[in-house]
Amino acid sequence: MDCFVSIDLHNKVIMKKITIIWSVLIALTVFAFVLGYFKILNNFFIFLLLVTTFLKGQLIIDYFMNLREVQLKYRILPTIWIVVVLVLVSIAYYLPVT
Amino acid sequence: MNKIKKLYPPGDFGVWIIIYIELITFGLFFIGFTFSRRAQIEIFNSSQLLLDQRFGLVNTILLLTSSYFIVKATQIIKSINTKESFQQASNYIISAIGLGGVFLIIKIIEFTDKYEQGINLSTNTFFMFYFILTMFHFMHVVLGMIILFNLYNNTKNGLYTIEQHRGLESGASYWHMVDLLWIVLFPLIYIIR
Repeated sequence: MDCFVSIDLHNKVIMKKITIIWSVLIALTVFAFVLGYFKILNNFFIFLLLVTTFLKGQLIIDYFMNLREVQLKYRILPTIWIVVVLVLVSIAYYLPVT
Repeated sequence: MNKIKKLYPPGDFGVWIIIYIELITFGLFFIGFTFSRRAQIEIFNSSQLLLDQRFGLVNTILLLTSSYFIVKATQIIKSINTKESFQQASNYIISAIGLGGVFLIIKIIEFTDKYEQGINLSTNTFFMFYFILTMFHFMHVVLGMIILFNLYNNTKNGLYTIEQHRGLESGASYWHMVDLLWIVLFPLIYIIR
């Protein structure tokens, strides 16, 4: 009986954590939309947008894909992917056009 | 406390090979898009103004919520197996499919709107990337929904249990990848200028 109570409690904690992660993802998405919709897009906010995109991606990788519980070599691959893509996007954006 | 890490990612290893390949493919498109933008900044910025960012916002929320439902369904199956839990988990999966369906409808409305304005793949480089990226992603959503429908049937019939749920995790991982791709695609196509 104690075992079932413990599983139920553990399950509730995980569900609560996932709901918080989902809320953060939604909030960051709305933030990105507000920047674009109201055209608040200077160099600083573009940087902030890229950082929040990385955060969103990492939250999906860690908590939705559940890779936080897996050996680093598997977890790191999607993280490297998102870092490489966003760094190259930053370079393409910030590098002066000749 | 040191938690022992699992040896392999959730689900079948084959799905993860597909996921890594898909990420690389889309990644190359994303990089191609941003570097092409450098050559035609004016065209890219003015073309982007023709997109409705509200569609992008709603679609991102739909995909995130759909993924969230799949996480919930997987968590239920992994923790308790009763008739009610199978029903509850399958309800989450069918809701996720529903949200995926709304995503597709919104995309079709967006595509139709662009075609009615005379905008297509050959309009300019921005719209070439826009159509290729979003249509390619669209196809992944369709495939993901077919996979989810299969998961729904299996979950409803109690085929996934605490001990055996690799199929569910494989399908779920694919669906989260579709979400992850959109997370990068949304600011790139709709926001950054």
